[in-house]
Amino acid sequence: MNNRQIHKFVERYLEATGCGILEKSPSHFMVKLSPAADRELTGRPYYWSFVDRTGAEPETMSFLFVTDRDKYDAAEAKAAEKEHSFVSAPPGGVEAALGRSFGHIHGSLNAVRMPREDLYFGSRRLDQLFQAVRSGGQFVCLFQEPESRKPHPLESVPYTPWLGVNIRVGFECDRKREELHSYGISLATGVCVEQFYDRLLKLKMTPRLPANIHIARSSLTITKAAGMIEQQLERKLKSYDYSWAEEAAARLDDELERIQLYYEPLIAGAEDEEQHAAITAQYANRQDEIRWQLSPRVTASAINCGIFHLAGID
Amino acid sequence: MQRPLNSTEQPGTETTGKKLHPNASLYMDRSWHEELNDRIQRNGPWDDWSIFQLAVEASQATLVTSFEELQCLRVLPAFEPMEHQVGTARKVLHEMGGRAILADEVGLGKTIEAGLVLKEYMVRGLVRKALILVPASLVLQWVRELNSKFGISAVAQKKEHTWQYDVVVASMDTAKRDPHRSILLDQDYDMLIIDEAHKLKNRKTTNYQFVGKLRKKYCLLLTATPVQNNMDELYNLITLLKPGQLGGQSDFSANYVVDKRIPKNEDRLQEALSQVMIRNRRGDGGIHFTKRIVKNIIVELSEEEQELYHAVTAFVKERYDESGGDMTSMLSLVTLQREVCSSRDAVFITLVNMFKKMPEESPMRAKVWELVEVIRKIKANSKAEKALELIRSIDDKVILFTEYRATQEHLLQFFKSHDLTAVPYRGGMNRGKKDWMMDLFKGRAQVLIATEAGGEGINLQFCHHMINFDLPWNPMRVEQRIGRVHRLGQKNDVKIYNLCTKGTIEEHIVSLLHEKINLFELVIGELDHILERFEKEELPLEQRLAKLMLESSGEAELQSELETLGSSLNRLRSEAGSSPEHGAPLSALLDNLGDSVEVRP
Repeated sequence: MNNRQIHKFVERYLEATGCGILEKSPSHFMVKLSPAADRELTGRPYYWSFVDRTGAEPETMSFLFVTDRDKYDAAEAKAAEKEHSFVSAPPGGVEAALGRSFGHIHGSLNAVRMPREDLYFGSRRLDQLFQAVRSGGQFVCLFQEPESRKPHPLESVPYTPWLGVNIRVGFECDRKREELHSYGISLATGVCVEQFYDRLLKLKMTPRLPANIHIARSSLTITKAAGMIEQQLERKLKSYDYSWAEEAAARLDDELERIQLYYEPLIAGAEDEEQHAAITAQYANRQDEIRWQLSPRVTASAINCGIFHLAGID
Repeated sequence: MQRPLNSTEQPGTETTGKKLHPNASLYMDRSWHEELNDRIQRNGPWDDWSIFQLAVEASQATLVTSFEELQCLRVLPAFEPMEHQVGTARKVLHEMGGRAILADEVGLGKTIEAGLVLKEYMVRGLVRKALILVPASLVLQWVRELNSKFGISAVAQKKEHTWQYDVVVASMDTAKRDPHRSILLDQDYDMLIIDEAHKLKNRKTTNYQFVGKLRKKYCLLLTATPVQNNMDELYNLITLLKPGQLGGQSDFSANYVVDKRIPKNEDRLQEALSQVMIRNRRGDGGIHFTKRIVKNIIVELSEEEQELYHAVTAFVKERYDESGGDMTSMLSLVTLQREVCSSRDAVFITLVNMFKKMPEESPMRAKVWELVEVIRKIKANSKAEKALELIRSIDDKVILFTEYRATQEHLLQFFKSHDLTAVPYRGGMNRGKKDWMMDLFKGRAQVLIATEAGGEGINLQFCHHMINFDLPWNPMRVEQRIGRVHRLGQKNDVKIYNLCTKGTIEEHIVSLLHEKINLFELVIGELDHILERFEKEELPLEQRLAKLMLESSGEAELQSELETLGSSLNRLRSEAGSSPEHGAPLSALLDNLGDSVEVRP
């Protein structure tokens, strides 16, 4: 993700969660969080449980989110310079006196605290946004918005319910590689397609049931449909290159053999029961560790999924 | 889906596995079926479509698309690791399967290498739980580095419940004791990192056995000295990491060892070692660091100052004899004597504090007062004048270190009255103020007067003149001072000026540190070894010096005692210099396990 993509991402998050954007430029946002976003981002579970129990009016936090450090700092420096050239008179006597007794006072005492957060790829705050959207965007139920032409009041458009799921596939041994797969399956007919998510992005979707449509009856249960997606994925994955797994398996065998050569004479030469047991246990532990480290495996887990009602019968 | 199938769990704990290939099975996470069904039954609640899309984008952005490419480099915009560090991380990840001994020479950044490896595994989702065991004195430093450089939320172990955190840094001594020990042995650690791992060279120790019992997937052992005394240490270390890598103990002795420090079958041994160990070392030809140029500047005390010095010395000696040789209460007295060599202000403050603490009827009060009277007579500070003269002649940024707050204040005043801009720096300042002082020093102030050399963030590569207004008796602290200026990034030779008052204890100390240990010109890291050895046999050097000074009956005796101390340090130094791997066949072999790094400033 580059700065621009991050900026866009943050903007969409703030809008989606209903945060109040007080000020923005291509390199920053000043924002007052919505209660929903505050709960996700500020890590104040006690405060929020207090609000929930007492019904007190919540006071959400404000942040300065900087999405392009260099640009923002340059702009700030320039602005400061400009301001500097205007202010020539030294600060008033009263302020100076106050400053002496209270230390430097910035602006008004009531100014909202606005901590600055730099959002760059890899920063904690951005990771947290990622976490937040992952847990907050898991299950949806949506309808395709009908074409804008006025339909005949008595004419009803048929819709098909689809199960769509985005899957992260991991190829793992002591190393790891990942892929994203998106499948959709028509619950009416059992037609299964790849890259379903891309198809969705081309459509306009709404959570509200549109007028004048009727939905085809599902002939598949979710579990059945998910099973079919699984099979489809499995078929696809079978055609992959597994030389990485062969290499890992060979390494695994090597390592197991190496510790076997080490431990077996030790176990044979144990002086008493106790020592025998201890070494055997240690050997078993080592074997487990090595398997844990090197066993090749492929994992598949859903990122998110939903029921998508699309126009037409498929 | 709440908790995606945890890739860091051991295979076998997952429920279904379908063969995709003779060597690889597919494990499907099905937890989402139920949740989706559930929501359909209850008709919601449904998540927001835009958030759903953002979730997909977040997953795309964090996807690990290749086995090889280091992902962590994308997420570390805050600093740039050096080439050999990245190379080492790559090797550990791709060739060693995450189990390695990092044995770079001191100063090449083993911590950075370990951090890179850890971060990479974390980014790839292969490590979630990591345990880092280090000497107690390094815990906070590790936590800071991991947090600031790598954005890894590491916590320092404080209480029992701290162990629940994902990345914990703890001291070995704590970890191996109950109740902690049993908690740790009950966990599966995706990664274990042990700093100063040469302390695990003896397989009979509890440390060694404890580490052997910890369950871990990946493991890094960090040490600059994989072999200190004999090759068995190396064997033990490697066996801890990968049992059998060098065969059984008897195979090892038979195959590889001629004598405790002399290997045989070097090629095979090297081959075996290179699979588990990386050792980068400083290049031989290139410039490692710029030079340190030391100059001792003798200051002649004025008559009044002389008088004070003698008066204080007599006072201190008297107290010591009275106390019957009790050292504990004497250290403050020794301080007094050292302060005389720094400034009258420092002595004065200490005397006033002593005076306040004494009971009113104490006869000592009168004696203290006498000393104060002597102070009163002193009109000028010869050392401060010398310093001023020196700074003017340098005509460049200078950092001046003193041990005492009072001296610091005095110098600030004194310099100010001579139109020399100086700013203070001390441990008690908060972060913001420290940064501010640093900025001022970078900007218009010519001099920084510091009482503390430790702590992060005081990196003064832009300055290459330092004055030791007075010297700590603990050589590590002297080294720390120098290290602030003389570090990677310093482009000039560093000039070190030691101000030392003639005819005082200070003169002896300077000569001991400079001529005997050659402290100022030691290779970085060498001092650790010398002191470690010294303190095995003796009290810490500081205390040893204080004792020496109090107990000697006269100048001549002091002189000869210091001479003895000096030569024993000198001996340790030559041992330290020769014993780890200089020129030995073993060292040549170890040195082939990595690259020679030209650390250019």
